[in-house]
Amino acid sequence: MMKQIALYGKGGIGKSTTSANLSAALSEQGCDILQIGCDPKRDSTRMLMHGRLIPTVMDLVRERGDRSLTLNEVVYEGYHGVRCVEAGGPEPGVGCAGRGIIATFQILEKLGALHADVVVYDVLGDVVCGGFAMPMREGYAEEVYLVTSGELMSLYAANNICKAISRLSSRARSRCRLAGVICNAKNLPREEELVSEFAEKIGSTMIQFIPRDQVVQNAELNKRTVVEYAPASRQAEVYRSLARQILNNRRLDIPIPLEMDDLEALAYGYLRE
Amino acid sequence: MIWKHWPMDISGNEGCTLTGALSVTTEVANSITLIHGPAGCAHHNVSLLQAVHLARDRISMPRIRSTDLKEEEIIFGGENALEEAIRETTRMGPDLICVLSTCVTGTIGDDVGGVCGGDWGIPVLALENAGFLGGGFYSGSLQALISLAGLCNPAAGNGTVNLIGEKSLEYEVEEQYLETKRLLALMGVGVNIRFVRHTSLPEIRRMGEASLNVLRDPGISALGSHLQARLSIPYLDSFPVGMEGTLRFLEKAGDYLDLDSSRAIKTERTHQRKILSKFSQLKGKRIRLDPSLLAPNDREGAFELLDALDMALDPQGFRVPVPDPFPVGTSGLLRLLHRWRRFAHA
Ligand SMILES: Nc1ncnc2c1ncn2[C@@H]1O[C@H](COP(=O)(O)OP(=O)(O)OP(=O)(O)O)[C@@H](O)[C@H]1O
Ligand SMILES: [Mg+2]
Repeated sequence: MMKQIALYGKGGIGKSTTSANLSAALSEQGCDILQIGCDPKRDSTRMLMHGRLIPTVMDLVRERGDRSLTLNEVVYEGYHGVRCVEAGGPEPGVGCAGRGIIATFQILEKLGALHADVVVYDVLGDVVCGGFAMPMREGYAEEVYLVTSGELMSLYAANNICKAISRLSSRARSRCRLAGVICNAKNLPREEELVSEFAEKIGSTMIQFIPRDQVVQNAELNKRTVVEYAPASRQAEVYRSLARQILNNRRLDIPIPLEMDDLEALAYGYLRE
Repeated sequence: MIWKHWPMDISGNEGCTLTGALSVTTEVANSITLIHGPAGCAHHNVSLLQAVHLARDRISMPRIRSTDLKEEEIIFGGENALEEAIRETTRMGPDLICVLSTCVTGTIGDDVGGVCGGDWGIPVLALENAGFLGGGFYSGSLQALISLAGLCNPAAGNGTVNLIGEKSLEYEVEEQYLETKRLLALMGVGVNIRFVRHTSLPEIRRMGEASLNVLRDPGISALGSHLQARLSIPYLDSFPVGMEGTLRFLEKAGDYLDLDSSRAIKTERTHQRKILSKFSQLKGKRIRLDPSLLAPNDREGAFELLDALDMALDPQGFRVPVPDPFPVGTSGLLRLLHRWRRFAHA
């Protein structure tokens, strides 16, 4: 059965890094993977593609004008056979990137591109309009993973995405659910406990704690995922563990977002002066 | 929002700012209006305007073009398409281009003002009403009038009058104009410009030369004040409505223009009596109209006629029409009485 997952979370929290490593690890575990970068920045698949910036779906649309695209023009094979797509979008500050995501999905749909053992949607952090909620819509990702650190604003962003999920899940045909919380740590004290408690409070669970580690940047500078660049490292093992967790995960919850006061109180409880 | 009004409010308070703005900009002679948005926004409005024109035997098509945006321009931004369209439009040799934004270009944030502000050799006005933003039809037309007013400069008054904000889509627009012009002529006052109705850019630039502005109706008082502040021209807030209202109009216009209106008023009063005498068949008729549908000025106009002809309001009486807007001046009353006579089988 095909699994479609989406990673959401605060801007810059590590969604693309985590997605790429997750895809690489899942692929090594024998899955056929399609990773779709839903971000005009087009930086989701860079490490899987060894630094190559693949043509984005929106680039192609812009050049061709028409929609006579083929599958090979939008899907590129990267590390370990992971298939990569970048939605792309307008230049910063003009047009409508959200509409670009919607158009990309329609094109991928038309090309029959959306099939794999696991489809990974990597969405930009600031889900500013309906277009970026596209992966959560009917027929796409049924499992949303929240990526967060223990920082208040990161939890706050994750909590807001819970609101979107619970709103969507009230629609009759929606199958979009919260599948779990991934802690991508900033190495704060008791961060794992904090994020874990946050996950429980919103009615979910923390499925993986990812430490902050210099090897991630080293891999990034070498245009590789950690899984490929430093396969023997502890960090690579963490990503492989994440992949196993996600493959075996059966939890699908309708989250209960926290009130701002409760969220602040929760974070405050872990404050150490 | 339509679901708040059922049946839908088809007065100008709702509707689209774009249609309101177009009802003004397409009246500027030798100008072209460019709608920055999907072709459909232009299509609906061209159809509407053309139907109205044809009903008045005006054969020319309204000069409206569209930037004809498709999904691609929405995603990547429509500013280039707009620039290209303005360039093409200037080649058609208009005196003025008015650029109207639409819902979708407003939403994606195209900088219409910025593009129009370039050096185009002719004035290119940006009207960024964006369809859904800031009200309905009336606010769109008001905004367009205010923008166009930016094209003229203050000047010394020459004793003439500007007619401001004629409703180009109103059924009897020419009749209302001719009647107002006739009344002013009773005092020897001429019309400087019609703002805006078949009016050219050079004429608009001369708007400041009038000594009084006469607004079509009090709904555009904001424009009256704006012009007063900018051009130091005082204003009357409405075309003449009703018998007494028409006489008051003459008196007030005379006051503003420093003219003796008494002879004109006397002439007009005699004229009104003569007209009433032609409708003696309506005397004593019981009629039905819904005063709650009328604006205060218009209500006064209707009730005056009832009194003058000894007609009585009666829920079982003949139902008679009271057009909105109420017909202007004494000639308007004449047309109204003709209709009432038909409806009352008198
Ligand atoms: N576990 C980690 N340890 C060290 N550095 C990390 C870790 N995770 C992510 N980073 C670094 O954080 C930076 C931002 O990560 P990334 O681009 O993946 O964030 P993002 O959530 O996808 O951002 P956006 O919201 O802009 O798409 C990157 O430079 C990355 O190397
Ligand atoms: Mg990213």
